[in-house]
Amino acid sequence: MPDTVIEVRDLVRKFGTRTVLNGISFSVNKGDTVIIMGGSGCGKSTLLRHIIGAMKPTSGSIRLFGEEITTMPQIQLEKLRLRFGMNFQFGALLQSLTVGENVALPIIENSRVDPGIVDLIVKMKLELVGLTGFEHLKPAEISGGMRKRVGLARAVAMDPELLFSDEPTSGLDPIMTAVIDQLTLDLTQKLDMTAVVVSHDMTSAFRIGTKMIVLGAGKRAGTIIAQGTPDEIRNHPDPEVQQFIKGEPDGPVPLKLSPEDYIDRLLDLPGQKEND
Amino acid sequence: MSLAANFRTFFFLNRSILYWLVLGPFRKQPLRISAVFQQMVRIGVQAFPMTALTSLSIGLTLAMQGAHELARMGATAYVPDLVAMTILRELGPLLVGVVVIGRSGSAVTAELGTMKVGEEIEALEVMSINPVRFLVVPRFLAMMVMLPVLTVFGNYIGLAGGWLICHFSLDMSTAAYIQRLMEAAQPDDLFTGIIKSIVFAWLIILISCQAGLGVSGGAEGVGQATTSSVVTSILAMLVANAVLTAIFFIT
Repeated sequence: MPDTVIEVRDLVRKFGTRTVLNGISFSVNKGDTVIIMGGSGCGKSTLLRHIIGAMKPTSGSIRLFGEEITTMPQIQLEKLRLRFGMNFQFGALLQSLTVGENVALPIIENSRVDPGIVDLIVKMKLELVGLTGFEHLKPAEISGGMRKRVGLARAVAMDPELLFSDEPTSGLDPIMTAVIDQLTLDLTQKLDMTAVVVSHDMTSAFRIGTKMIVLGAGKRAGTIIAQGTPDEIRNHPDPEVQQFIKGEPDGPVPLKLSPEDYIDRLLDLPGQKEND
Repeated sequence: MSLAANFRTFFFLNRSILYWLVLGPFRKQPLRISAVFQQMVRIGVQAFPMTALTSLSIGLTLAMQGAHELARMGATAYVPDLVAMTILRELGPLLVGVVVIGRSGSAVTAELGTMKVGEEIEALEVMSINPVRFLVVPRFLAMMVMLPVLTVFGNYIGLAGGWLICHFSLDMSTAAYIQRLMEAAQPDDLFTGIIKSIVFAWLIILISCQAGLGVSGGAEGVGQATTSSVVTSILAMLVANAVLTAIFFIT
Protein backbone atom coordinates (compact mmCIF):
# COMPACT_ATOMS: atom_id res chain seq x y z
CA MET A 1 0.00 0.00 0.00
CA PRO A 2 1.54 3.30 -1.05
CA ASP A 3 2.05 6.09 1.47
CA THR A 4 -0.11 9.14 0.99
CA VAL A 5 2.09 12.22 1.17
CA ILE A 6 -0.46 14.91 0.41
CA GLU A 7 -4.16 14.67 1.01
CA VAL A 8 -6.41 17.61 0.20
CA ARG A 9 -10.11 17.41 1.08
CA ASP A 10 -12.85 19.86 0.04
CA LEU A 11 -10.50 22.83 -0.01
CA VAL A 12 -12.35 26.14 -0.36
CA ARG A 13 -10.72 29.55 -0.42
CA LYS A 14 -12.57 32.83 -0.85
CA PHE A 15 -11.05 36.27 -1.36
CA GLY A 16 -13.88 38.57 -0.32
CA THR A 17 -16.85 37.44 -2.38
CA ARG A 18 -14.78 35.69 -5.04
CA THR A 19 -14.25 31.96 -4.69
CA VAL A 20 -10.82 31.07 -6.02
CA LEU A 21 -10.70 27.46 -4.91
CA ASN A 22 -13.98 25.63 -4.75
CA GLY A 23 -14.00 22.14 -3.30
CA ILE A 24 -10.59 20.81 -4.36
CA SER A 25 -9.91 17.20 -3.36
CA PHE A 26 -6.99 15.01 -4.36
CA SER A 27 -4.25 12.89 -2.88
CA VAL A 28 -0.64 12.28 -3.84
CA ASN A 29 1.32 9.11 -3.13
CA LYS A 30 5.00 8.84 -2.35
CA GLY A 31 7.12 8.90 -5.50
CA ASP A 32 4.42 10.48 -7.64
CA THR A 33 5.00 13.47 -9.85
CA VAL A 34 1.78 15.43 -9.92
CA ILE A 35 1.26 18.05 -12.58
CA ILE A 36 -1.25 20.79 -11.78
CA MET A 37 -2.51 22.34 -15.01
CA GLY A 38 -5.03 24.99 -15.89
CA GLY A 39 -5.34 28.36 -17.56
CA SER A 40 -3.80 31.51 -16.15
CA GLY A 41 -5.59 32.80 -13.08
CA CYS A 42 -7.45 29.56 -12.39
CA GLY A 43 -5.97 29.23 -8.91
CA LYS A 44 -2.94 26.97 -9.48
CA SER A 45 -0.49 29.12 -7.55
CA THR A 46 -3.08 29.76 -4.84
CA LEU A 47 -3.56 26.00 -4.46
CA LEU A 48 0.20 25.53 -4.15
CA ARG A 49 0.44 28.29 -1.53
CA HIS A 50 -2.23 26.52 0.52
CA ILE A 51 -0.41 23.21 0.37
CA ILE A 52 2.84 24.75 1.64
CA GLY A 53 0.90 26.44 4.45
CA ALA A 54 1.56 30.01 3.29
CA MET A 55 -2.18 30.64 3.06
CA LYS A 56 -4.98 29.36 5.24
CA PRO A 57 -8.10 27.97 3.54
CA THR A 58 -11.62 29.23 4.20
CA SER A 59 -12.64 25.63 4.82
CA GLY A 60 -11.41 22.13 4.08
CA SER A 61 -8.44 20.07 5.16
CA ILE A 62 -4.87 19.62 3.94
CA ARG A 63 -2.73 16.80 5.30
CA LEU A 64 1.00 16.57 4.63
CA PHE A 65 2.74 13.35 5.69
CA GLY A 66 -0.50 12.53 7.53
CA GLU A 67 -0.48 15.75 9.58
CA GLU A 68 -3.19 18.36 9.31
CA ILE A 69 -1.49 21.66 8.46
CA THR A 70 -4.45 24.06 8.36
CA THR A 71 -4.69 24.16 12.15
CA MET A 72 -1.05 23.45 12.91
CA PRO A 73 0.87 25.92 15.12
CA GLN A 74 3.63 27.89 13.39
CA ILE A 75 6.47 26.12 15.19
CA GLN A 76 5.33 22.68 14.08
CA LEU A 77 4.74 23.95 10.55
CA GLU A 78 8.33 25.23 10.45
CA LYS A 79 9.57 21.77 11.42
CA LEU A 80 7.41 20.15 8.75
CA ARG A 81 8.72 22.56 6.13
CA LEU A 82 12.22 21.15 6.61
CA ARG A 83 10.92 18.08 4.80
CA PHE A 84 9.98 19.92 1.65
CA GLY A 85 11.50 22.28 -0.87
CA MET A 86 9.79 24.93 -2.92
CA ASN A 87 10.92 26.24 -6.27
CA PHE A 88 9.28 29.62 -6.87
CA GLN A 89 8.07 30.81 -10.25
CA PHE A 90 10.66 33.58 -10.48
CA GLY A 91 13.26 31.94 -8.27
CA ALA A 92 12.65 34.22 -5.26
CA LEU A 93 16.38 34.36 -4.58
CA LEU A 94 17.68 36.70 -1.93
CA GLN A 95 19.08 39.59 -3.95
CA SER A 96 21.61 40.54 -1.29
CA LEU A 97 23.30 37.12 -1.34
CA THR A 98 25.32 35.46 -4.09
CA VAL A 99 24.07 32.41 -5.98
CA GLY A 100 26.20 30.13 -3.82
CA GLU A 101 25.05 31.73 -0.57
CA ASN A 102 21.44 31.39 -1.68
CA VAL A 103 21.81 27.65 -2.20
CA ALA A 104 23.76 27.32 1.06
CA LEU A 105 21.21 29.32 3.05
CA PRO A 106 18.74 26.55 4.00
CA ILE A 107 21.63 24.23 4.91
CA ILE A 108 23.44 26.77 7.10
CA GLU A 109 20.28 27.97 8.83
CA ASN A 110 18.68 24.60 9.46
CA SER A 111 21.59 22.33 10.24
CA ARG A 112 25.04 22.35 11.75
CA VAL A 113 27.06 21.16 8.81
CA ASP A 114 30.74 22.05 8.53
CA PRO A 115 31.32 25.02 6.16
CA GLY A 116 33.59 22.87 3.96
CA ILE A 117 30.82 20.32 3.50
CA VAL A 118 28.32 23.10 2.77
CA ASP A 119 30.57 24.34 -0.06
CA LEU A 120 30.68 20.83 -1.46
CA ILE A 121 26.88 20.42 -1.29
CA VAL A 122 26.39 23.82 -2.97
CA LYS A 123 28.75 22.79 -5.81
CA MET A 124 26.90 19.49 -6.23
CA LYS A 125 23.47 21.13 -6.31
CA LEU A 126 24.58 23.79 -8.80
CA GLU A 127 26.15 21.07 -10.95
CA LEU A 128 22.73 19.35 -11.04
CA VAL A 129 21.15 22.39 -12.66
CA GLY A 130 24.14 23.12 -14.91
CA LEU A 131 25.34 26.26 -13.16
CA THR A 132 28.80 25.32 -11.90
CA GLY A 133 31.04 28.36 -11.69
CA PHE A 134 28.27 30.87 -11.09
CA GLU A 135 28.52 30.71 -7.27
CA HIS A 136 29.97 34.18 -6.87
CA LEU A 137 27.49 36.12 -8.98
CA LYS A 138 24.55 38.02 -7.54
CA PRO A 139 21.03 37.05 -8.71
CA ALA A 140 20.77 40.41 -10.51
CA GLU A 141 23.76 39.46 -12.68
CA ILE A 142 22.28 36.27 -14.14
CA SER A 143 19.34 35.69 -16.48
CA GLY A 144 15.78 34.86 -15.45
CA GLY A 145 16.11 31.24 -16.55
CA MET A 146 19.32 30.87 -14.57
CA ARG A 147 17.69 32.37 -11.48
CA LYS A 148 14.97 29.80 -11.81
CA ARG A 149 17.50 26.98 -11.93
CA VAL A 150 19.27 28.38 -8.87
CA GLY A 151 15.85 28.38 -7.20
CA LEU A 152 15.53 24.67 -8.01
CA ALA A 153 19.04 23.98 -6.68
CA ARG A 154 18.10 25.78 -3.46
CA ALA A 155 14.81 23.86 -3.23
CA VAL A 156 16.63 20.51 -3.36
CA ALA A 157 19.57 21.65 -1.19
CA MET A 158 18.20 19.94 1.90
CA ASP A 159 17.32 16.75 -0.04
CA PRO A 160 13.60 17.17 0.60
CA GLU A 161 11.07 14.36 0.53
CA LEU A 162 8.62 16.62 -1.24
CA LEU A 163 9.37 19.16 -3.96
CA PHE A 164 7.01 21.90 -5.08
CA SER A 165 7.75 23.60 -8.36
CA ASP A 166 5.89 26.60 -9.72
CA GLU A 167 6.35 26.57 -13.51
CA PRO A 168 9.93 25.28 -13.39
CA THR A 169 10.43 25.25 -17.16
CA SER A 170 8.70 28.38 -18.42
CA GLY A 171 11.22 30.74 -19.95
CA LEU A 172 13.88 28.06 -20.36
CA ASP A 173 15.31 26.92 -23.69
CA PRO A 174 14.27 23.43 -24.92
CA ILE A 175 17.56 21.81 -23.91
CA MET A 176 17.46 23.25 -20.40
CA THR A 177 13.78 22.26 -20.13
CA ALA A 178 14.79 18.67 -20.92
CA VAL A 179 17.61 18.86 -18.35
CA ILE A 180 15.27 20.10 -15.63
CA ASP A 181 12.68 17.45 -16.55
CA GLN A 182 15.34 14.74 -16.41
CA LEU A 183 16.45 16.07 -13.03
CA THR A 184 12.91 15.91 -11.67
CA LEU A 185 12.54 12.39 -13.04
CA ASP A 186 15.84 11.29 -11.49
CA LEU A 187 14.94 12.74 -8.12
CA THR A 188 11.52 11.11 -8.03
CA GLN A 189 12.51 7.73 -9.48
CA LYS A 190 15.89 7.22 -7.85
CA LEU A 191 15.43 9.01 -4.53
CA ASP A 192 11.71 8.32 -4.18
CA MET A 193 11.01 12.02 -3.85
CA THR A 194 7.49 13.27 -4.44
CA ALA A 195 7.03 16.25 -6.74
CA VAL A 196 4.16 18.66 -7.27
CA VAL A 197 4.68 20.70 -10.40
CA VAL A 198 2.55 23.55 -11.69
CA SER A 199 3.07 23.72 -15.43
CA HIS A 200 1.77 25.12 -18.69
CA ASP A 201 4.30 23.23 -20.74
CA MET A 202 2.46 20.18 -22.16
CA THR A 203 5.56 18.44 -23.55
CA SER A 204 7.29 18.69 -20.22
CA ALA A 205 4.13 17.76 -18.29
CA PHE A 206 3.59 14.53 -20.20
CA ARG A 207 7.32 13.73 -19.96
CA ILE A 208 7.54 13.82 -16.17
CA GLY A 209 3.99 13.48 -14.85
CA THR A 210 2.66 10.29 -13.28
CA LYS A 211 -0.55 11.98 -12.25
CA MET A 212 -2.30 15.07 -13.56
CA ILE A 213 -4.82 17.50 -12.21
CA VAL A 214 -6.60 19.96 -14.50
CA LEU A 215 -8.28 23.01 -12.99
CA GLY A 216 -11.20 24.52 -14.88
CA ALA A 217 -11.70 27.96 -16.35
CA GLY A 218 -14.67 30.31 -16.59
CA LYS A 219 -17.73 28.95 -14.77
CA ARG A 220 -15.79 25.97 -13.50
CA ALA A 221 -12.85 28.01 -12.18
CA GLY A 222 -11.44 26.77 -8.90
CA THR A 223 -12.61 23.19 -9.34
CA ILE A 224 -10.85 20.09 -10.61
CA ILE A 225 -12.34 19.15 -13.99
CA ALA A 226 -10.12 16.14 -14.59
CA GLN A 227 -7.54 14.09 -12.74
CA GLY A 228 -5.76 10.85 -13.50
CA THR A 229 -2.72 9.34 -15.18
CA PRO A 230 -1.25 11.06 -18.28
CA ASP A 231 -3.00 8.51 -20.53
CA GLU A 232 -6.36 9.11 -18.88
CA ILE A 233 -5.93 12.86 -19.33
CA ARG A 234 -4.82 12.49 -22.94
CA ASN A 235 -8.01 10.56 -23.70
CA HIS A 236 -10.26 12.55 -21.40
CA PRO A 237 -13.72 13.15 -22.88
CA ASP A 238 -14.09 16.68 -21.49
CA PRO A 239 -13.68 19.11 -24.41
CA GLU A 240 -12.11 21.75 -22.18
CA VAL A 241 -9.35 19.33 -21.15
CA GLN A 242 -8.77 18.46 -24.79
CA GLN A 243 -8.63 22.12 -25.75
CA PHE A 244 -6.10 22.75 -23.00
CA ILE A 245 -3.70 19.90 -23.74
CA LYS A 246 -3.85 20.46 -27.50
CA GLY A 247 -3.50 24.22 -27.09
CA GLU A 248 -6.38 25.26 -29.36
CA PRO A 249 -7.40 28.91 -29.36
CA ASP A 250 -11.13 28.29 -29.53
CA GLY A 251 -13.34 25.71 -27.83
CA PRO A 252 -15.21 25.48 -24.54
CA VAL A 253 -12.96 28.31 -23.34
CA PRO A 254 -14.06 30.84 -25.96
CA LEU A 255 -11.74 33.00 -28.01
CA LYS A 256 -14.44 35.54 -28.64
CA LEU A 257 -17.47 36.23 -26.52
CA SER A 258 -20.96 36.09 -27.98
CA PRO A 259 -22.34 39.60 -28.75
CA GLU A 260 -24.65 39.46 -25.70
CA ASP A 261 -21.83 38.45 -23.33
CA TYR A 262 -19.61 41.14 -24.81
CA ILE A 263 -22.20 43.85 -24.20
CA ASP A 264 -22.78 42.50 -20.69
CA ARG A 265 -19.10 42.63 -19.87
CA LEU A 266 -18.65 46.12 -21.30
CA LEU A 267 -21.55 47.48 -19.31
CA ASP A 268 -20.57 45.61 -16.17
CA LEU A 269 -20.89 47.65 -13.00
CA PRO A 270 -17.54 48.64 -11.52
CA GLY A 271 -18.69 47.36 -8.12
CA GLN A 272 -18.67 43.80 -9.45
CA LYS A 273 -15.07 44.07 -10.57
CA GLU A 274 -12.98 41.20 -9.32
CA ASN A 275 -9.88 41.74 -7.31
CA ASP A 276 -7.30 39.48 -5.74
CA MET B 1 -4.73 49.31 7.61
CA SER B 2 -6.59 50.82 10.52
CA LEU B 3 -4.74 52.44 13.40
CA ALA B 4 -5.78 49.70 15.82
CA ALA B 5 -4.54 46.98 13.46
CA ASN B 6 -1.25 48.86 13.10
CA PHE B 7 -0.77 48.98 16.86
CA ARG B 8 -1.58 45.29 17.07
CA THR B 9 1.03 44.44 14.44
CA PHE B 10 3.49 46.71 16.26
CA PHE B 11 2.90 44.78 19.46
CA PHE B 12 3.27 41.41 17.76
CA LEU B 13 6.49 42.46 16.05
CA ASN B 14 7.88 43.53 19.44
CA ARG B 15 6.90 40.24 20.97
CA SER B 16 8.41 38.28 18.15
CA ILE B 17 11.71 40.18 18.33
CA LEU B 18 11.85 39.57 22.07
CA TYR B 19 11.08 35.89 21.51
CA TRP B 20 13.92 35.43 19.04
CA LEU B 21 16.37 37.42 21.17
CA VAL B 22 15.66 35.45 24.32
CA LEU B 23 14.57 32.00 23.17
CA GLY B 24 16.09 31.86 19.67
CA PRO B 25 19.46 30.50 20.85
CA PHE B 26 17.68 27.56 22.49
CA ARG B 27 15.86 26.63 19.30
CA LYS B 28 19.02 25.84 17.36
CA GLN B 29 18.54 28.90 15.21
CA PRO B 30 20.81 31.38 16.91
CA LEU B 31 21.35 34.91 15.85
CA ARG B 32 24.19 35.43 13.43
CA ILE B 33 26.54 38.02 14.83
CA SER B 34 28.05 38.69 11.39
CA ALA B 35 24.63 39.86 10.16
CA VAL B 36 24.34 42.24 13.11
CA PHE B 37 27.74 43.80 12.35
CA GLN B 38 26.89 44.06 8.68
CA GLN B 39 23.73 45.99 9.56
CA MET B 40 25.65 48.13 12.07
CA VAL B 41 27.89 49.28 9.24
CA ARG B 42 24.96 49.99 6.94
CA ILE B 43 22.69 51.62 9.50
CA GLY B 44 25.28 53.36 11.64
CA VAL B 45 28.77 53.74 10.24
CA GLN B 46 27.63 54.84 6.81
CA ALA B 47 25.26 57.40 8.35
CA PHE B 48 28.10 58.99 10.33
CA PRO B 49 29.23 61.65 7.79
CA MET B 50 25.67 62.94 7.45
CA THR B 51 25.00 63.05 11.19
CA ALA B 52 28.37 64.75 11.71
CA LEU B 53 27.59 67.48 9.20
CA THR B 54 24.09 68.02 10.64
CA SER B 55 25.37 68.25 14.21
CA LEU B 56 28.22 70.59 13.24
CA SER B 57 25.92 72.99 11.45
CA ILE B 58 23.45 72.97 14.35
CA GLY B 59 26.27 73.66 16.85
CA LEU B 60 27.43 76.57 14.70
CA THR B 61 23.93 77.98 14.27
CA LEU B 62 23.09 77.74 17.97
CA ALA B 63 26.29 79.51 18.95
CA MET B 64 25.77 82.25 16.35
CA GLN B 65 22.16 82.87 17.38
CA GLY B 66 23.07 82.69 21.07
CA ALA B 67 25.99 85.06 20.66
CA HIS B 68 23.82 87.53 18.81
CA GLU B 69 21.10 87.63 21.47
CA LEU B 70 23.30 87.32 24.55
CA ALA B 71 25.66 90.05 23.29
CA ARG B 72 22.89 92.61 23.86
CA MET B 73 23.01 91.79 27.57
CA GLY B 74 26.76 91.44 27.60
CA ALA B 75 26.40 87.77 28.49
CA THR B 76 28.31 86.11 25.65
CA ALA B 77 30.14 84.09 28.31
CA TYR B 78 27.01 81.98 28.58
CA VAL B 79 26.99 80.88 24.92
CA PRO B 80 28.64 77.52 25.82
CA ASP B 81 25.85 76.89 28.36
CA LEU B 82 23.23 77.44 25.71
CA VAL B 83 24.95 75.23 23.16
CA ALA B 84 25.62 72.42 25.65
CA MET B 85 22.10 72.31 27.10
CA THR B 86 20.30 72.48 23.78
CA ILE B 87 22.47 69.92 22.04
CA LEU B 88 22.87 67.38 24.83
CA ARG B 89 19.27 67.44 25.98
CA GLU B 90 17.24 68.03 22.83
CA LEU B 91 18.70 68.71 19.43
CA GLY B 92 21.53 66.16 19.44
CA PRO B 93 19.35 63.05 19.79
CA LEU B 94 16.56 64.54 17.71
CA LEU B 95 18.59 65.61 14.70
CA VAL B 96 20.67 62.45 14.63
CA GLY B 97 17.34 60.60 14.77
CA VAL B 98 15.98 62.57 11.81
CA VAL B 99 19.08 61.87 9.73
CA VAL B 100 19.01 58.15 10.59
CA ILE B 101 15.29 57.95 9.75
CA GLY B 102 15.88 59.59 6.38
CA ARG B 103 18.93 57.58 5.56
CA SER B 104 18.71 54.21 7.31
CA GLY B 105 15.07 53.78 8.32
CA SER B 106 13.85 54.42 4.80
CA ALA B 107 16.50 52.06 3.43
CA VAL B 108 15.33 49.28 5.77
CA THR B 109 11.70 49.76 4.70
CA ALA B 110 12.58 49.83 1.01
CA GLU B 111 14.79 46.75 1.30
CA LEU B 112 12.31 44.65 3.27
CA GLY B 113 9.48 45.87 1.03
CA THR B 114 11.32 44.85 -2.12
CA MET B 115 12.01 41.46 -0.57
CA LYS B 116 8.32 41.08 0.26
CA VAL B 117 7.28 41.98 -3.29
CA GLY B 118 9.91 39.65 -4.78
CA GLU B 119 8.56 36.66 -2.78
CA GLU B 120 11.87 36.52 -0.89
CA ILE B 121 10.13 36.69 2.51
CA GLU B 122 7.82 33.85 1.49
CA ALA B 123 10.80 31.85 0.27
CA LEU B 124 12.47 32.29 3.66
CA GLU B 125 9.34 31.06 5.42
CA VAL B 126 9.14 27.99 3.21
CA MET B 127 12.79 27.25 4.05
CA SER B 128 11.83 27.33 7.77
CA ILE B 129 13.84 30.51 8.23
CA ASN B 130 11.81 32.91 10.33
CA PRO B 131 11.93 36.34 8.64
CA VAL B 132 11.83 38.16 11.96
CA ARG B 133 14.84 36.26 13.25
CA PHE B 134 16.72 36.42 9.97
CA LEU B 135 15.95 39.97 8.83
CA VAL B 136 14.44 42.05 11.62
CA VAL B 137 16.47 41.07 14.70
CA PRO B 138 19.92 41.97 13.22
CA ARG B 139 18.56 45.35 12.08
CA PHE B 140 16.94 45.88 15.47
CA LEU B 141 20.14 45.21 17.40
CA ALA B 142 22.21 47.29 15.00
CA MET B 143 19.89 50.26 15.36
CA MET B 144 19.67 49.95 19.17
CA VAL B 145 23.46 50.10 19.39
CA MET B 146 24.29 52.53 16.61
CA LEU B 147 21.77 55.34 17.18
CA PRO B 148 23.00 56.09 20.74
CA VAL B 149 26.60 55.84 19.47
CA LEU B 150 25.87 58.25 16.63
CA THR B 151 24.13 60.53 19.12
CA VAL B 152 27.21 60.67 21.35
CA PHE B 153 29.40 61.46 18.34
CA GLY B 154 26.83 64.00 17.16
CA ASN B 155 26.89 65.68 20.59
CA TYR B 156 30.67 66.05 20.47
CA ILE B 157 30.62 67.44 16.98
CA GLY B 158 27.82 69.87 17.84
CA LEU B 159 29.82 71.11 20.82
CA ALA B 160 32.84 71.47 18.54
CA GLY B 161 30.65 73.61 16.26
CA GLY B 162 29.87 75.84 19.24
CA TRP B 163 33.57 76.07 20.00
CA LEU B 164 34.32 77.26 16.45
CA ILE B 165 32.08 80.32 16.94
CA CYS B 166 33.12 81.00 20.54
CA HIS B 167 36.81 80.73 19.74
CA PHE B 168 37.03 82.55 16.43
CA SER B 169 34.18 85.02 16.76
CA LEU B 170 33.87 85.69 20.50
CA ASP B 171 37.61 85.38 21.26
CA MET B 172 36.98 82.84 23.98
CA SER B 173 39.96 80.60 24.73
CA THR B 174 39.56 76.86 24.18
CA ALA B 175 40.23 76.22 27.86
CA ALA B 176 37.57 78.71 28.90
CA TYR B 177 35.06 77.14 26.50
CA ILE B 178 35.68 73.67 27.87
CA GLN B 179 35.61 74.86 31.45
CA ARG B 180 32.32 76.66 30.87
CA LEU B 181 30.89 73.48 29.30
CA MET B 182 31.97 71.40 32.28
CA GLU B 183 30.32 73.81 34.67
CA ALA B 184 27.10 74.12 32.68
CA ALA B 185 26.42 70.53 31.62
CA GLN B 186 25.84 67.73 34.09
CA PRO B 187 26.32 64.05 33.30
CA ASP B 188 22.54 63.73 33.56
CA ASP B 189 22.15 66.00 30.53
CA LEU B 190 24.17 63.56 28.47
CA PHE B 191 22.43 60.50 29.90
CA THR B 192 18.92 61.79 29.27
CA GLY B 193 19.93 62.44 25.66
CA ILE B 194 21.22 58.89 25.33
CA ILE B 195 18.10 57.42 26.91
CA LYS B 196 16.06 59.43 24.42
CA SER B 197 18.11 58.09 21.54
CA ILE B 198 17.56 54.51 22.73
CA VAL B 199 13.80 55.07 22.71
CA PHE B 200 14.06 56.71 19.27
CA ALA B 201 16.07 53.75 17.97
CA TRP B 202 13.39 51.34 19.12
CA LEU B 203 10.61 53.39 17.49
CA ILE B 204 12.49 53.96 14.22
CA ILE B 205 13.51 50.38 13.57
CA LEU B 206 10.16 48.89 14.59
CA ILE B 207 8.20 51.31 12.39
CA SER B 208 10.58 50.83 9.45
CA CYS B 209 10.51 47.03 9.66
CA GLN B 210 6.75 46.91 10.12
CA ALA B 211 6.20 49.14 7.09
CA GLY B 212 8.61 47.05 5.01
CA LEU B 213 7.11 43.67 5.93
CA GLY B 214 3.59 45.00 5.34
CA VAL B 215 4.18 46.06 1.73
CA SER B 216 1.72 44.89 -0.88
CA GLY B 217 1.23 45.89 -4.48
CA GLY B 218 4.57 46.03 -6.27
CA ALA B 219 6.97 48.92 -6.72
CA GLU B 220 4.30 51.49 -5.96
CA GLY B 221 3.59 49.78 -2.64
CA VAL B 222 7.30 49.91 -1.73
CA GLY B 223 7.34 53.66 -2.43
CA GLN B 224 4.24 54.30 -0.36
CA ALA B 225 5.51 52.19 2.53
CA THR B 226 8.84 54.04 2.52
CA THR B 227 7.14 57.43 2.62
CA SER B 228 4.78 56.37 5.38
CA SER B 229 7.59 54.81 7.41
CA VAL B 230 9.61 58.07 7.29
CA VAL B 231 6.61 60.23 8.19
CA THR B 232 5.41 57.91 10.96
CA SER B 233 8.92 57.55 12.41
CA ILE B 234 9.45 61.31 12.57
CA LEU B 235 6.06 61.93 14.16
CA ALA B 236 6.50 59.12 16.67
CA MET B 237 9.97 60.40 17.53
CA LEU B 238 8.80 63.98 18.10
CA VAL B 239 5.91 62.87 20.29
CA ALA B 240 8.19 60.53 22.26
CA ASN B 241 10.68 63.39 22.66
CA ALA B 242 8.03 65.67 24.15
CA VAL B 243 6.91 62.92 26.54
CA LEU B 244 10.47 62.11 27.61
CA THR B 245 11.36 65.76 28.12
CA ALA B 246 8.28 66.10 30.32
CA ILE B 247 9.32 63.06 32.33
CA PHE B 248 12.98 64.05 32.74
CA PHE B 249 12.79 67.81 33.29
CA ILE B 250 9.32 68.66 34.58
CA THR B 251 8.83 66.09 37.32
